[in-house]
Amino acid sequence: MAGLLDSFSHADIPAGAEALRPQVKAFLAEQMAGRPADARARSWSGFDADFSRAVAARGWLGLTLPREYGGGGADAFSRFVLVEEFLAAGAPVAAHWIGDRQSGPLLLHYGTEAQRRHYLPRMCAGEIFFCIGMSEPNAGSDLASVRTRAIGGEDGWTLNGQKIWTTYAHKSHYMIALVRTSGTSDDRQKGLSQFIIDLSLPGIDIRPIVDLTGDSHFNEVFFDDVHLPADALVGQEGAGWAQVNAELAFERSGPERIYSSIVLLDCWADHLRGVPDAHAGLAVLGRLLARMAVLREMSIAVTARLAAGESPVIEAALIKDIGTALEQEIPVAIAEALAAHPEVPVTDELLRTLAFVSQVAPAYSLRGGTREILRGMIARGLGLR
Amino acid sequence: MDMDDALLDPFKRLLERISTAQMVRASESAGEVASWVEIDGSGFVDALVPEAAGGVGLSLADVVPLLLAAGGALLPVALGETMVARALVARAGKALPVTTPVLLWPADQEGRPRSLIAPALAGATHAFVQQGKQASVRPLMQGDAAPDGFGIVAARLDPTAAPLLVVELPEDALFAWAAALTAATMAGAMARVLEMTMAHVNDRQQFGRPLGKFQAIQQQMSMLAEAVAMADVAARIGLTGRQDAPSRLDAAIAKTVADESATTVCAIAHAAHGAIGITREHDLSLYVRRLKRWQLSFGSAAGWSRIVGEARLVETGNSVDFIRAMRHD
Repeated sequence: MAGLLDSFSHADIPAGAEALRPQVKAFLAEQMAGRPADARARSWSGFDADFSRAVAARGWLGLTLPREYGGGGADAFSRFVLVEEFLAAGAPVAAHWIGDRQSGPLLLHYGTEAQRRHYLPRMCAGEIFFCIGMSEPNAGSDLASVRTRAIGGEDGWTLNGQKIWTTYAHKSHYMIALVRTSGTSDDRQKGLSQFIIDLSLPGIDIRPIVDLTGDSHFNEVFFDDVHLPADALVGQEGAGWAQVNAELAFERSGPERIYSSIVLLDCWADHLRGVPDAHAGLAVLGRLLARMAVLREMSIAVTARLAAGESPVIEAALIKDIGTALEQEIPVAIAEALAAHPEVPVTDELLRTLAFVSQVAPAYSLRGGTREILRGMIARGLGLR
Repeated sequence: MDMDDALLDPFKRLLERISTAQMVRASESAGEVASWVEIDGSGFVDALVPEAAGGVGLSLADVVPLLLAAGGALLPVALGETMVARALVARAGKALPVTTPVLLWPADQEGRPRSLIAPALAGATHAFVQQGKQASVRPLMQGDAAPDGFGIVAARLDPTAAPLLVVELPEDALFAWAAALTAATMAGAMARVLEMTMAHVNDRQQFGRPLGKFQAIQQQMSMLAEAVAMADVAARIGLTGRQDAPSRLDAAIAKTVADESATTVCAIAHAAHGAIGITREHDLSLYVRRLKRWQLSFGSAAGWSRIVGEARLVETGNSVDFIRAMRHD
């Protein structure tokens, strides 16, 4: 336990990484002008290919990938600064988000040299977008029970099965999927492999699912005798589980687990400026910000560990669990504070933003590992499992 | 052994001698601590006094681990407070006129303490009182006093005694110091409550297996660890945001998060301990009693967080800009 506390010891963002911040701010000021808060609040789920290509043109896609593959050759801190500014501004990052955050690093670590040269430069140029095929109708939190299967043959693999909740599959060019290549779902983590799937191949059917706000970002994806070339396999056959878990350590500790509701929070702060004697509201605002400041400190500490080549899985789970709880408390607290004073006029923009965040907030503690899964991981870190 | 351990290890050995559960218990009603001479002799009390003034000249960041350790041991004497009082007086080019423990006593414009509940007396003889920009060293009442509702003898200023020494401090300085020190003490105590509760759920068997093997308990323990981690990081922010003193906003973060964490930590620790945890005999009560008392000391989450909220509205950028500015101003 002392070890767990030690791992959040203070780290500073190096000056080199901070130097990126004013450039990012200037870029965003230009790109984001005129976008209303309820559009900006969609940041994670806002798909805007033009925006992503503009980011690529600045050299900021694949910022941490080596230059020889089209990346920026920067460290984890630079990416922290970039992502922090994007999320604070509510930039529409969905088009490049998965590739930049997960698929790119995955291909760099586990891909063959040919795969790296084939995919990474185009990803960094904003020409191809990625999605991730993990969940299945009977494998959500119980990811090891996936049934989608690839059977190896002489000239490649034949893929059959179904993925679900696949974010932006209908607008992506490639999916990196976790599928079974040997054994049965009773074999759990064994016999799973990762594949990169060209979504234009015959036999693939992508059906959008409309979410509770009316937005359409996730999908069902069906594979019916899809023929994959031999080099669609990413990493080692049978090592898919270990590869996926390494990927999730990167995903769970970043600023994206703190700032999902920040556009709403800032929109509300603007509202409070016009309200005389908003004492109760100011205390609520301050509480949320105090926690956000502590989480940011923890997230930077874990970024330092990532930059040092470590894999702080438990710490990342802890930050994600606390961070998503904060993200979910923000719309609840703001709704309460606003509704307590019906005599104070509220802009349509703030109300729309509140309505959106209030409805999607439950997803914050589902995506990327549910709250219960994360707490199980923390308990293991404590030595209870 | 790194620099931290070179300082921390001897301090922990000192705590093992002078802050046992038995001594902590005895201090509650007695309002008196026998071990001050040994603490003062150890040199730790002068840690923050500049070398030029005869101190050790350590930075605040250096002593944070000591303050957390003292909190973990419920050290029943005002070490951190005396450390700070000596340092602040030394920086003003003077020396504290007493070598006994000194409490921090931020007061409002009318002279009322800025704390719902006064610090435990615990052997202190004087208070360092700030009103406006003036800080003075003033004697505390000694002698028979009834323990408060927590069973602890609270300090009282002697209204008739003249101040021994007067120095200038920035407005709110002692309030921020007192809140940040309290938050660090709380964070140290909460880390120890996590250890105690872990030991209990690993040891205690129900339905044929240790409590810690039940998923319901594991999820609670994870939340307990989260609250402790938050308080720990917040306490470090509170004391190390600036080089020489906690800023008002750093103290606000520290006390707000410490107070919030303490509610979670006490509730889960009690739930996991079951009935034994609400006995006077069990050491958990020593921790919970103090955590509840510290929540009433030097402002609460609601009070401090309003200061953060007000400061946010002054900032024209977004909340990330605000947090960054707050940490670097």
